[in-house]
Amino acid sequence: MEVIAALDLLGNEAVRLTRGDFATARSYGEPEAVLDALHVPDGARLHVVDLAGSRDGRPISTDVVRRLARRDLRVQVGGGIRSVADARCWMSCGASQVVVGTLAADAPQTLRAIVDDLGPSRVIAAVDVRHGVVRVEGWSRSSGISIEEVLTSIAEMDIEEVLITDITRDGVLRGPSFALYRSLRIPLRVIASGGVSTLGDVVSLARIPRVGACVIGKALLDGRFTLAEAAARAKTPDAIPERIIPCLDVRDGRVVKGVRFDGIRDAGDPVECARRYEAEGADELTILDISATDSGRATALETVRRVAEAIFIPLTVGGGVRSVDDFRALLRAGADRVAFNTAAVRDPGLIAACAREFGVQAVVLSCDAKDGRVMVRAGKEETGLSAVDWCARAEELGAGEVLLTSVDRDGTRDGFDIELLRAVSGRVRIGVIASGGAGRLDDFRDAIESGGARAVLAASLFHDRLLTVSDVKRHLAAEGIPVR
Amino acid sequence: MAPHVILSREDGEGSPGERGEILRFAQDDTAAVTLIDSPVANTANIARALLAAGASLVVTADPLAVARASKLVLPGVGSFAAAMRWLRESRIDAAMRGALARGASLLGICVGHQLLFDASSEMGSTPGLGLLRGEVRKLEGSLPVPQIGWNRVRFNGAPLFRGIADGTPFYFVHSYAASGVASEVAAASYGAPFTAAVQQDRVFGVQFHPEKSSNAGLQVLRNFVAWR
Repeated sequence: MEVIAALDLLGNEAVRLTRGDFATARSYGEPEAVLDALHVPDGARLHVVDLAGSRDGRPISTDVVRRLARRDLRVQVGGGIRSVADARCWMSCGASQVVVGTLAADAPQTLRAIVDDLGPSRVIAAVDVRHGVVRVEGWSRSSGISIEEVLTSIAEMDIEEVLITDITRDGVLRGPSFALYRSLRIPLRVIASGGVSTLGDVVSLARIPRVGACVIGKALLDGRFTLAEAAARAKTPDAIPERIIPCLDVRDGRVVKGVRFDGIRDAGDPVECARRYEAEGADELTILDISATDSGRATALETVRRVAEAIFIPLTVGGGVRSVDDFRALLRAGADRVAFNTAAVRDPGLIAACAREFGVQAVVLSCDAKDGRVMVRAGKEETGLSAVDWCARAEELGAGEVLLTSVDRDGTRDGFDIELLRAVSGRVRIGVIASGGAGRLDDFRDAIESGGARAVLAASLFHDRLLTVSDVKRHLAAEGIPVR
Repeated sequence: MAPHVILSREDGEGSPGERGEILRFAQDDTAAVTLIDSPVANTANIARALLAAGASLVVTADPLAVARASKLVLPGVGSFAAAMRWLRESRIDAAMRGALARGASLLGICVGHQLLFDASSEMGSTPGLGLLRGEVRKLEGSLPVPQIGWNRVRFNGAPLFRGIADGTPFYFVHSYAASGVASEVAAASYGAPFTAAVQQDRVFGVQFHPEKSSNAGLQVLRNFVAWR
């Protein structure tokens, strides 16, 4: 997938609007300086929107575009193109393509005339959508026409590319409309626009076959990641398989399961469960020791030893880890990685100490969150810490991955907390494991695609055999998400 | 120093015996594998996987046992420099060279694989065993380092991957890797391409952890155990 940097112009300044509202305009300064900071490679496309033109219905920021087009870039310009003359105006400014929006819905015969005049490869049709209905005139008016109708007429004009923006997502960092892009059944190359705020979004878009390019504005301007990073990730979205991790909550040598951290019931023998999950294709296994007593801990260590001997996939163990010695004991018992929550909150230095002693790859921060705040002691005690800030701090200290559990969703099967996942996965570079709320097959897809999770953990769903690990992996593969 | 653990295939079920315990050792057994018991390695996990792969296993840090081995496995995790220092101080490096000169085969795993090369850029430049040409360097690109997780491995008919579909994922945990080396028989990509496995005559190496790569990993070990 091609990644295209976007620059929105208002007069002589580069700006961003939120949800297309001019009252929210925020200036990023002089367009050429902004462009320099983006490091757009030679020969790449640059997406320029003339916002004032879009509002007023005629080309406005022509001088700026003329300057930008002198660079070794292919500049595509949109905003306010209402006639063949408008389109020619932008081409005379040095644009390589024009992006024509409103006309596609409002006056298809004029769009046809522009295509006839410039040739179909010089015209990108732009469609702004809100709840499936196309918007026009800088998003200020509904056309009353459905996206399917508009796209069908565009395809009939031999136009090759269509830029689709879901304006409910644009500029608000909530993520692109993956479902919209996935639902499209048209013979057009889609340029996705709006809502890309994390590298995970770039990867998720690149996995949708219909999406050939994406436009990124705000996230690049705000320095959330670089164009080079986005391009690198977009090139190989399938290289790294996403992981499915069954979780065994263990007490007194048995697998148990509760709802919202409470109401415990028996769910089987740990070794039997572990063997079954590996056979089903689990990529990793997690054991959480939920016993609260010292004798319980000794039993848990023995359980870890038995499970570690029974499987040939990585094993992460958490629960009740209080010290470097506890950490070491679990590694010695056969864990590959150890997760802690309460002890790390009480003494963040423990993360650094364990990373130094055992390596970053062995350290997993387990973060239980409720309403965006960190909870400790198995969800019983509030800390007031922001989950996002705490995960970022843990990464700095040396955590190699975050196991992020929504306390509200745990065991409910209501779906993962996508907002929480996005907030954390957009902030940290290390992988985020989604936990708490797995219920339907699509929940797993959403946690990865929209939530940016690099792994998904589930317990009761697998223990109760409502779904198998292989069911989940088959579904993800069908949805274009790479699995082992 | 006597070999620590010797297990026959028949005894392969269950965990390795106590240190110092000798269960059985058959000199002519082609499946006999000598696992170098480095203190900077996850020896127990690899021992278990080798047993599951059908090996008769000797786990030892004794240079004499290493020198007379016909099939060696060199594991390693963590620091390249620490692993190399231990090899030298324990005189295992010379013993390995002796075994190789007598026609033994060798499989390096993770840092054990990295040690096969000339050097690593970890902490300036640290010399390795120099059995293979090339240098191990820090992974580059925008992806988080260390790489922790499964990654697809591409190989074209290398004996080590017999019976495994090209592109099968293996489990990696590493910050450094070789790339584009002459001995490369399998590659993967993490931001940029890197060497996932090597073979030069009887010297093999895998950057991934076969002992954590489920059936595919066990098959790689089986292929090494069956190699002659």
